[in-house]
Amino acid sequence: MYQFFTRLMFILAFFIGFNLPAIAAAPPASDPVRIGIMAFNEPDEVMANWHPTADWLSQQLHRPVHLTPLTPSQLDEALTKQSIDFLIGNALTTVAFKKNYGTSHLLTLVHNRVRSPEQSIGSAIVTRIDNNLSQWDQLKDEKLVSSDPQAFGGFQIFAATMATKGINAYRDIPKLRFIGFPQQKLLQMLLSGEADIAVLPSCVLENAVDKGLVPANKLKVVLKQPHPDFACEVSTQLYPGYALTKLGHTDHKLATQVVASLLQITPDNPAAQQGRYQYWSAPVDDSPVFELLKQLEQWPFVTNWQRLLHNALPWGASFIFALLLGYIHHLRVKRLVVKRTQALSAEITHHQYTQKILLEQQQQFYRAQRVLLTGEMASGIAHELKQPLAGIRYLTQGCIYRLDNTQTELATALNKVINQVDRAQTTIHRLRTFCQQTSDYQHCDLRTVIEETLTLMQPEFQRLKLSPKVSLQTLPVFADASLMQQVLVNLLRNALDAMENVPHKSLVIDTGTMGENIYIHITDAGCGLSDSALERLFFPFETSKPQGLGLGMVICKRIIEEHKGKIDAQHANPGLTIKVTLPLNSQPA
Amino acid sequence: MTPLYLVDDDQDVLDSLSWMLEGMGLNCKGFNAADAFLKSVDIKQPAVLLLDIKMPGMDGVALLNHLNQAQSAISVIMLTGHGTIAMAVDCIQQGALNFLEKPVDGEKLFQLLTQAQQHTEQKWHQQNLQLDIANRLATLSQRETQVMEGILAGKMNKVIAAELDIAQRTIELHRQKVMQKMQVSNAAELAWLLANHKL
Repeated sequence: MYQFFTRLMFILAFFIGFNLPAIAAAPPASDPVRIGIMAFNEPDEVMANWHPTADWLSQQLHRPVHLTPLTPSQLDEALTKQSIDFLIGNALTTVAFKKNYGTSHLLTLVHNRVRSPEQSIGSAIVTRIDNNLSQWDQLKDEKLVSSDPQAFGGFQIFAATMATKGINAYRDIPKLRFIGFPQQKLLQMLLSGEADIAVLPSCVLENAVDKGLVPANKLKVVLKQPHPDFACEVSTQLYPGYALTKLGHTDHKLATQVVASLLQITPDNPAAQQGRYQYWSAPVDDSPVFELLKQLEQWPFVTNWQRLLHNALPWGASFIFALLLGYIHHLRVKRLVVKRTQALSAEITHHQYTQKILLEQQQQFYRAQRVLLTGEMASGIAHELKQPLAGIRYLTQGCIYRLDNTQTELATALNKVINQVDRAQTTIHRLRTFCQQTSDYQHCDLRTVIEETLTLMQPEFQRLKLSPKVSLQTLPVFADASLMQQVLVNLLRNALDAMENVPHKSLVIDTGTMGENIYIHITDAGCGLSDSALERLFFPFETSKPQGLGLGMVICKRIIEEHKGKIDAQHANPGLTIKVTLPLNSQPA
Repeated sequence: MTPLYLVDDDQDVLDSLSWMLEGMGLNCKGFNAADAFLKSVDIKQPAVLLLDIKMPGMDGVALLNHLNQAQSAISVIMLTGHGTIAMAVDCIQQGALNFLEKPVDGEKLFQLLTQAQQHTEQKWHQQNLQLDIANRLATLSQRETQVMEGILAGKMNKVIAAELDIAQRTIELHRQKVMQKMQVSNAAELAWLLANHKL
């Protein structure tokens, strides 16, 4: 019992451990403060921009500060591994992490040129001055460029705005390309005509013009939205800018110190100047960003797959494991089914084969019987006709002898009668010869023949609820097996017929060798025969059966005698014993 | 006239065959079973028997066998509905004179019957003669038999007398008695009789 609980606890711990991040201890005061900064393709520039801010913090906190520029995917990894304590990222990332990782939004950055932190960034759709684009729909056919699909102002605000117009920025704009950083490159592409439209964060164009990187009056922002408090021209709604976020594990005291330090930065601080911001503000309302996130998440392409994957991993693994188990079970069942099916089909095949053999044997038997019966019938008919024909011939010839020499006409007619009789005789003789079949003698074991015959007649034994008492031993003979089977079937059937209406049925088949002969004795407990019937048992057309032809025993006698054997019948008490003897043939088959 | 018998289980065949034989001037007597025949006929007497093979009870072959065993003088002609070669050989080996398939032609049968009659008479005479000789031999005394054996061996009277240790005159008397009892006139005739008819 105890063991069971330990095991259960272990399993539970294992699963909980799988799902929950390990609770990490707060870093000691001398450890560096690790700050991740969101960057796309320009880590050096980001480092340069934020370095003074880090220095300021280090100075204020009296402990080292490590800055790490991170791409969006690296960010996810860093949050999962908790390799950073704070994060500076755009509003969308901040909100997304708040949702996915439970981070806390500490401060919002107030960028240059911005009056209200809530309205820090939007997307500007920039084109050449001569472009008359006036509808969002028209964008679909333009050669569009953007820096990165993950860029907040540079793409995602634009994409979310497109979504509100019912356009999927990815799918519906075939000529959309992502060029990468720096963003000025996009402006150059517009000037050179490589692209018609560039999607840029707000103020990029204005900054470029101010720095003289782009000539004034060559490019313009289209589909403008009026934002009286905003210094730059934008095509979309405005959203808060960069924000400082504290990760779940970060000590709140450290967070308080960091916040206090950053709030002290004034616009004239080198940190702010190099970082291109005015100051840090208390967190602003980020509900529009939530809204934006929702709009973006309506499409799978912005779904945070990595995050989802990570969350789903244990479940997925369990699911896959279960699936695997199920599959293994399925395979096992399938294999079993295949095995059983094979066994079954083998059995069916075997059964069918046996059935077929039995059927063939039966057919062969009946064919042989038909031939034999035909032969015997012809023989019997021939005999029956021969007797009266002989009588006619004798009588006719007797008449001729009694004629005197003057009765020539009668003599002629009577001689014709004789000719007719002879003709009939010839026909009968031919018929008999035709119906006589040649036997196929082989060395065989009558034991096998008896066994086969018993199988063949099994249904009839079952019908009479009779099981014959059989004592078999090997009985080598030189015989036609199919003829022997005829004999056996005839004898057995007679025995069964005799016992049809007898209460105590029994059938004994005794076999053995006696000197130079083998013997088969078949004894039934049937109604038996009268002495006269016994005497005429082997005569053709003698039968006690209403449907019988009276040839069965004749055939038996003929076959046995043809095999140089003897067949004999004796009274048994009650019933009849048929004794068959055949010459022994010990020569190997 | 040698008697002629018919044995066949079919009365119609029996009747018609009798009718034909009588038409040929031959008297015959029919039996429809083997045992009926054996009951009423003396098988030691010369006779001709037309015998069917297939019969209930004792069949033709069995009757033939019986006659053969009993050294009957009867000549047997087998008449069968459907004979096989094996059957024919068997019957001939058991002493049947002939083996014919039914129906047999009157003329042919007549010839065979004539032969059979001669055969049975001959056989009967032979049997009778043998019997007679046996009887004659039986009348000889022991001494006479000894003398006869001497004569048959071609010995002179005096040699026989010396061997038997009796007088030559006595031998001559015995010799005379032997010739008289054996109904022969000389030694050569005695030798011929015994050589030809001794069993």
